[in-house]
Amino acid sequence: MNKIKGYNNWKELASKELKDKSLNDHYWETPEGIKVKPLYTEEDLKNLNHQIGLPGLPPFTRGPRATMYTNRPWTIRQYAGFSTAEESNRFYKEGLKNGVMGLSVAFDLATHRGYDSDHPRVVADVGNAGVAIDSIEDMNLLFDGIPLDQMSVSMTMNGAVIPVLASFIASGEEQGCPREKLTGTIQNDILKEFMVRNTFIFPPKPSMRIVADIIEYTSKHMPRFNSISISGYHMQEAGANQVQELAYTLADGKEYIKSALERGLNIDEFAPRLSFFWSIGMNFFMEIAKMRASRYMWAEIVKEFKPKNNKSLALRTHCQTSGVSLMEQDAYNNIVRTTIEAMAAIMGGTQSLHTNSFDEALALPTNFSARIARNTQLILSEETGICNVIDPLAGSYYVESLTSSIVQESKKLIQEIDEVGGMVKAIEMGIPKMRIEESSAKRQARIDSNEETIVGVNKYKPTEKQEINILSIDNEEVRERQVSRLQKLKKSRDNKNVENFIEKIKNVAGQKGNLLEVCIEASKNRCTVGEMTSAMESVFGRHNLSTKTISGVYKNSVKNDGKIDVIDRELDKFIKNKGRRPRMLVVKMGQDGHDRGAKLIATAFSDLGFDVDIGPLFQTPEEAAKQAVENDAHVIGVSTLAAGHKTLVPLLMESLKNNEANEIKVICGGVIPPDDYPFLYKLGVAKVFGPGTNIQEAAIEIINLL
Amino acid sequence: MKLKHYLKLFNISKIDFSKKIGVSNVSLSRYISGERFPERKVLSKIYQSTNGLVDANDFYLEGIPNYELNDQQKAELNNMINSLRKGKLKFIAKAITLIESSLKLHKLQASFLLSKLKDKNDSLRIGITGVPGVGKSTFIETFGMTLIDLGYKVAVLAIDPSSKRSGGSILGDKTRMMRLSVNKNAYIRPSPSQGHLGGVAKKTRDSIRCLEEAGYNIIFIETMGVGQAETTVYDMVDIFLVLLLPSGGDELQGIKKGIIEIADLIIINKADGSLKSTAEITMSEYKNAQTMISKSRKDILPQVFQCSSTENTGINKILSFVKKFEETRKKSGSFYQTRSEQQIKALWSDITLETQEFIENDLRSKEFVKKIIKDVEKNKFDVNNASKIILDYIVKK
Repeated sequence: MNKIKGYNNWKELASKELKDKSLNDHYWETPEGIKVKPLYTEEDLKNLNHQIGLPGLPPFTRGPRATMYTNRPWTIRQYAGFSTAEESNRFYKEGLKNGVMGLSVAFDLATHRGYDSDHPRVVADVGNAGVAIDSIEDMNLLFDGIPLDQMSVSMTMNGAVIPVLASFIASGEEQGCPREKLTGTIQNDILKEFMVRNTFIFPPKPSMRIVADIIEYTSKHMPRFNSISISGYHMQEAGANQVQELAYTLADGKEYIKSALERGLNIDEFAPRLSFFWSIGMNFFMEIAKMRASRYMWAEIVKEFKPKNNKSLALRTHCQTSGVSLMEQDAYNNIVRTTIEAMAAIMGGTQSLHTNSFDEALALPTNFSARIARNTQLILSEETGICNVIDPLAGSYYVESLTSSIVQESKKLIQEIDEVGGMVKAIEMGIPKMRIEESSAKRQARIDSNEETIVGVNKYKPTEKQEINILSIDNEEVRERQVSRLQKLKKSRDNKNVENFIEKIKNVAGQKGNLLEVCIEASKNRCTVGEMTSAMESVFGRHNLSTKTISGVYKNSVKNDGKIDVIDRELDKFIKNKGRRPRMLVVKMGQDGHDRGAKLIATAFSDLGFDVDIGPLFQTPEEAAKQAVENDAHVIGVSTLAAGHKTLVPLLMESLKNNEANEIKVICGGVIPPDDYPFLYKLGVAKVFGPGTNIQEAAIEIINLL
Repeated sequence: MKLKHYLKLFNISKIDFSKKIGVSNVSLSRYISGERFPERKVLSKIYQSTNGLVDANDFYLEGIPNYELNDQQKAELNNMINSLRKGKLKFIAKAITLIESSLKLHKLQASFLLSKLKDKNDSLRIGITGVPGVGKSTFIETFGMTLIDLGYKVAVLAIDPSSKRSGGSILGDKTRMMRLSVNKNAYIRPSPSQGHLGGVAKKTRDSIRCLEEAGYNIIFIETMGVGQAETTVYDMVDIFLVLLLPSGGDELQGIKKGIIEIADLIIINKADGSLKSTAEITMSEYKNAQTMISKSRKDILPQVFQCSSTENTGINKILSFVKKFEETRKKSGSFYQTRSEQQIKALWSDITLETQEFIENDLRSKEFVKKIIKDVEKNKFDVNNASKIILDYIVKK
């Protein structure tokens, strides 16, 4: 019972306004299972699960620094990777002239997976989704004219983290910047790769050793460099709700601390250099509460390891506005979404921020869209006055109560992980992955049945098509350029010396020693990223992911508004005609490991009554064709997010032809620029589905295609 | 029974039979092909000469469309068989699709196709079972690749006969067999759940024959480890492997006692990392228990091994046992004898299946049956009489 004076009067009045509806109907249960009331009062500030405290002081709920933005606003850090080192370099210089304060490097998928650009498995991946880095030569071009002792550089790299970080350090020294002066962040968060993003190379155990090698090396030699960016971002992108994102990320952090301690490091040596990375979606208050809860909980977690330095307890974070909240339909709406998300990140007290460009659901950003994204932050920082007050929402009945609920819910999830023996174990058992996929299927079901509104997608759809200019990349040209640069490198370097270093790397991998240390020297001696990776691979092996799937979640969460009945009828007809259910193979080709879409399609379609085959990740088109033919699939669904479709789909069509299996239909889905649709249709692709497609409508369309 | 089949079964030539019933050879051929319907007198002669096995209905059915394949369809199937023998993926796949299909036409096509296949005795059919998560697919991946390196061609049929789910399936087997699934000497076909156990068994047996015809000489049948499905798989393979996890008795692992009893080889999988010593203990436990169990084969004792599919240890021991098993049983002839017995079992289970299907799909919906049931319900009809009438109808059918 609420004891606030007048509360009962309010209740009476509210009930009157609601007429025949009950006040209880206005409780909202969030996807995280948190009950949100229509009204919060000071009563709700009693019995909180967290302490509010003061900024800059433990438990840091109100921010890691005492002055926060009143002294210096957050760092505007725009993530970008253009295909080549030269282009990216130009983009960075352009950004630096226009208010960007830190660089953020996106690498192409080949680099992520430790393949040089001339490797046969990466024909379609070179230069896609980021810059191709094959050796220190490419690094030198990337940072040409950018003083690394002054510029903080953030690198999104997890799989090939050793050779890439090594090349960066080596490149800095060739530029004249000693390693002690390098500032920035390396993502180096391998655990979430096994959970959601799949750009791992080695099995979990050696991968954790690599993380510890990097923490060890940077804590000794690079005091200004963040050794790890523990990321929840990709979890939310893969469909995790905010509580899952928070809990699993903190549990990852705990695991990294344990493995650094096992290495013999002191907690205060490395904990202050651990950083975090959140995704900020459209659930405004929930995101703010998540960030405040995260700081409180991290301080609590680190305290268990008995640090002496308060800095070890402070959670510092980078944020990026959510990529999955960007829609292909009515794409200009994305500018508004990004603005709201950016505001949540700032109210939540982020240390640096990337705002997405509105066209990123279609392709890589253009100069125009990148400029709007940048300006979104500049406007918030310089026109609104938000920066003048620290943690402005502290004490808000609602926000504090929500923060408290998040603390409570995520503690339950962390406890579940602790009980099975930590995150590495939990990942091996597939627990977090399964939970996240369930959330993802539920959300899709809510959207498909219009329970969750997305303006311009499932409500208020635009009547006219907008033309949006987008950037397209000639992947073939990029690859050729990289390959010829590699050939030149291999001719000009001392190959005998390279072989020596490859042997050294193998030795260190097999025994003790620091892999980063030996690879820095190897980079200076012109060993390539691919060569260093395969040296380690020869000792560690390459990790194969066994795909687990869920079923029933989509069907149980979706409301039947008649479409399901149509599907059932169409399926009956189909089975009567063909003697079996429609069989669809869902494939991911190339090195793109984002399998949220593919998994979602697989589970939803099988729930709807299709027989769905799933292909292993990282298939070549030939392999995908073989699987489709063997299983006698009616249709192949190609999931593509990384612009590889222009190379991969033609190869797939050709392989089908070689197997005399032209009758197998091919459909594509994912991030595909509308400009590429005609190209795909001309190849014989039966249908292209963009982001935001209603799955049930797609199912009906596919049955009719067959 | 059709006259054609009667003559073949009793090895009687057309000429002899035409003399027996007093018609010309040409006329007899026309009756057989369905071109002409025999007159009443001839019909009764045929009925008598065949001891009632061939009656008027058998001729009448010739005229019904869809009962037989036309020449073009047959030519297409012959073409399919030729391509299948050459190992062309698409045609192997299409043949299995015909076998799995629920369409009447496809069933006809499948049985035509199967009638053209030779029975091969040079293959080895390996059944593998174990609870979900025990690592069956990963084991097949490792073991299969070892066999391919030795020059074998490996096929994998993954079935889920226990599932009663009638909706769609999600089939991720190949994600756990990455190397095998891309190898040109391997063919993997996961089958969607199709409800009825007997039906799945028949389809699997037929698919095995297609794969053998296509040149695959190692056939893995992978099935989920619960209940009746195991014995069904046991009855279609030459050697039966049960995979177990380190630690935990078989009750704990959800494995029924009966399944351990029919295993030719018990494998403690995942004997790696922290589970290594537990695997050791589990292995010795099963070894002790195994000596108490009645043996399903007379000429070779079942064995217990441990292995790690991910670290590729213990595989060679398993391989040499499987080889020894095959050699020993081929030498003694029991290998072939078991296969013959399996054929007979398959025959009876087919008959049971067809009868059941007939009862479910056909008989229950007949008007006269519905009426009888109603009368029995109201005590107007006694059960004995009622079943006699219905059985009479079945026999005539």
